[in-house]
Amino acid sequence: MTLRDGALLKALRTHPKHVDGSAIFRYTSKLVLVGGAYYVAAILGLRLALIEKNVTPLWPPTGIAVVAFLIFGWRVWPGIALAALAVNLPISTNGLAAAATATGNTVAPLLAAILLVRVGFRREIDRLQDALAIVFLAALLSTLISASVGAGTLVLSGAIPAGRFPAAWAVWWTGDAMGVLVVAPFLLVLLQRPWSGSLRERIEIAALLLLVADVSVLVMNTDLRLMFLVIPFLGWTAWRFQQRGAAPAALLAAGIASWAAAHGLGPFQQGTLFEKMISLQAFNATVAFSSLFFAALVTERTRAREALERSAAELEDRVARRTAELSAANERLNREIAERHDTDRKLRQREGQLAEVQQQAQVGNWEWLIPEDRVSWSDEMYRIHGYLPKAFPITFEKAVELVEEEDATRIRANLKAALARGRDHDLPPSEYRIVRADGAERVLLGKARLSVGSDGRPLRMVGTVQDITEGKQAEREHRIAETLQRSLLPDRLPEIPGVLLAARYLPATSDLEVGGDWYDVVQLPNGSLALAIGDVAGHGLRAASTMGQLRMALRAYALEEGSPSQVVGRVRRLVRVLVPDIVTLIYLVFDPESGTLRFANAGHPPPLLVDGDGQTSYLEGGLGPPLGAIAHPGQDIDAATHLDAGSTLLLFTDGLVERRGASILDGLTRLKTLAADPGEDLEALCDQLLSAMVTDEVSDDIALLALRQVPFAAEPLFLRLPAEPHVLAPLRQTIRRWLRELDADPGIVDDVLVACGEASANAIQHAYGAKDGLFEVSLVLSDGAVEITIRDLGSWRPSSGSGRAARRGGLGQRLMRSLMDSVDVNSGPEGTVVRMRRSLQLKADRERTRAR
Amino acid sequence: MNELARVDSEQHGSLCLVRVSGEIDMSNDREILTAIEMAVARETDRLVVDLTHTTYLDSAGLALLLRLAERMQARQQMLSVVVPVDSRVRRAFELTGLLSVIDVVSRSEDALGEIRPGSSNDHA
Repeated sequence: MTLRDGALLKALRTHPKHVDGSAIFRYTSKLVLVGGAYYVAAILGLRLALIEKNVTPLWPPTGIAVVAFLIFGWRVWPGIALAALAVNLPISTNGLAAAATATGNTVAPLLAAILLVRVGFRREIDRLQDALAIVFLAALLSTLISASVGAGTLVLSGAIPAGRFPAAWAVWWTGDAMGVLVVAPFLLVLLQRPWSGSLRERIEIAALLLLVADVSVLVMNTDLRLMFLVIPFLGWTAWRFQQRGAAPAALLAAGIASWAAAHGLGPFQQGTLFEKMISLQAFNATVAFSSLFFAALVTERTRAREALERSAAELEDRVARRTAELSAANERLNREIAERHDTDRKLRQREGQLAEVQQQAQVGNWEWLIPEDRVSWSDEMYRIHGYLPKAFPITFEKAVELVEEEDATRIRANLKAALARGRDHDLPPSEYRIVRADGAERVLLGKARLSVGSDGRPLRMVGTVQDITEGKQAEREHRIAETLQRSLLPDRLPEIPGVLLAARYLPATSDLEVGGDWYDVVQLPNGSLALAIGDVAGHGLRAASTMGQLRMALRAYALEEGSPSQVVGRVRRLVRVLVPDIVTLIYLVFDPESGTLRFANAGHPPPLLVDGDGQTSYLEGGLGPPLGAIAHPGQDIDAATHLDAGSTLLLFTDGLVERRGASILDGLTRLKTLAADPGEDLEALCDQLLSAMVTDEVSDDIALLALRQVPFAAEPLFLRLPAEPHVLAPLRQTIRRWLRELDADPGIVDDVLVACGEASANAIQHAYGAKDGLFEVSLVLSDGAVEITIRDLGSWRPSSGSGRAARRGGLGQRLMRSLMDSVDVNSGPEGTVVRMRRSLQLKADRERTRAR
Repeated sequence: MNELARVDSEQHGSLCLVRVSGEIDMSNDREILTAIEMAVARETDRLVVDLTHTTYLDSAGLALLLRLAERMQARQQMLSVVVPVDSRVRRAFELTGLLSVIDVVSRSEDALGEIRPGSSNDHA
């Protein structure tokens, strides 16, 4: 409410800077409203007049005026002044007297309002200080003005004799004071924001007011002096509803009493005017004071209690919040500590021996004075051996006793040899095992230096000893894990023109835990691609070693066996005999030339096929039980499908589609949705799928292998191949696909194949023994002809004698020259280049020829 | 089939029939030669190498056949090679003049004409 008071104060002090039409209208309305209310209240008040016609014991207009100034500011004074003049004119001796009285009646409430604002009066009258302010400043102090001016005017204008001045003044003063005390609080309560009391409270307040009115009427209509009976009901109302109840109740009681006094009823039947006056004002004052103060007190108490409760609740809330913050901070701290701990652990594991040793840095040192045969150990030496420092006197023999027998013999021999050398030198560092006091075996690293006298006699040996057990162990485990991992996955994928391959292997988050997933891609002798992906149940070194064995076995069978089901069948037999684990595996053979994909599946999640239009389907055929799962499985079966150009095949292990709290079917559905837009870049697709499918920690290994067949004849064909005979068949297959994509005549394709085969065979033969061991093949389409260049990097070695190679070479030369339009062989120290050209008679050219 | 080539043989009395299917190049010529020679029994008078299902053959294959022919000749055994007219490998024989060096027939019936029904002795 302070804000409103501030606004009010401002309104009291300042002139409006800008006045427009609607402001003038509003202002006029206020004047009319205030003046009207003042006038009506005055007419009612005059009904209660005790002296002449214009001195009444209860003068409500003063209260109205005070409230008007409080609410609308000092600028409504003309409304008050005019109304006061209108009221006084008919009852005054002359106009001047009326004007004087009206001035007093205007100034008094204005002063009251100004004083109230000054002391920070709150219109709710909900503090004791507000009650005090309204009683003393507004009701008693300010009204001295109106009473003095009014009573004075009565005397001066001759309305009353001078002798009655004190009585008139007293009545005037108390009347105005009562008007303020009784009416102002009531109006202020009325003008407050609407009350949100419940129906029950509304009924209660109405009943209480009715009770106050009844009791008041009752006591005023009996001759017995029972006016005090009203007080308890006022108190009750004030206690229950504070000013909201007290103000109207006080108004009611005072109004009824004043009315009774004016009409000489009940307690006011007897006595002089002065006695009646005293009695009435005493009653009214009691009513006003007690209701005002009581209400203010109750409000203040209630507010204090509420404030206390609120601050208690706030405190509680703050404590709770602070506690939560603290516990969050604590949790964060714990997490950080745990993370750091974890990181430290991983770091230690990874950094192997060096970091391990550095971190522990427990280096003991010793000295051996040889002529005296006296040995001394540092404290750390004792600790390294598992004893308290200086636990026993150390001697050379005792020190060697602590070393494992086998190593002790070696150390003795080394020392003997060192002593015999007869000069200062460092002994080679030596690792040896000891058994510590607690029985634990440790590995130590010892370094020593020998000093000899001028005659070469050994004098002194000093050395350091370090416990490197952890380092050795971490180093060993790391090496094993690394070696295994390397042996499990292909170093690189075969590079086959027109076939894109991409693979990802995501180990489970734990570092040393090598999983049992693997994938493999090999090119078979006939140029087909063998793809495998599998999962050995479990983790750790055993699963990893099983996986390694199976990978090798699978490669061997892939080279030997014809169909995928035969390969899977053989692995199945191997698993039954050799491996105690359960293994899932899918094996596929893809023929890039025909696009045929044949596969057999041993309980592995099905591959996902995404065609060029984004249609997805899981290849669920060819399914048999997992390897090692059942004793007598039936025959494995083959399934086949066709991979169109642009189709993408996705092979994966269950880690990709399994997530805690979700079924594998959800994972498969999700993968299907994600893969529906595979994009151009197969590598990006793999990354995308992994990041979308794997959100939290990788709890299981994930292997992902993607294959896509793409058209490639739009570009010249260029291959760099190892100079080994087994590359010939895949090379022919690539060239065949390239030429077929150009729609070349099948007969010509065969010719080109033979010519390329011959030139390549020569390159392979010549490059044998050469350093590089590679040769290059390129095919370029030019003017409807294919230009072939085959280049080897070996030096030319003329065919020796009449051997098999020479005969083949001769036949080859003849074939090349007969099959090609032109052949040009260029040999030099850098190698041999064969350039050949052959018209292709492409379909488009053939049609053109026919049209002619 | 994953192998580059495949060798099947049948023995019909003194006649040995060897079918080579697939591709022959310098990566598998020795294996094929060995497989064919293993198929030839001591009592074989005549060897028929059927290349009807051979899809690729270059100088390595031709050299293989020449070597085989020499060995057969040394043992006084006869060699015929079946290369159909529409075979993809026929051109290699034509262009290198091997048609005049080796007995090349275009239909297996021509080479097998001497086999009488009932005398079949299948060792496959």
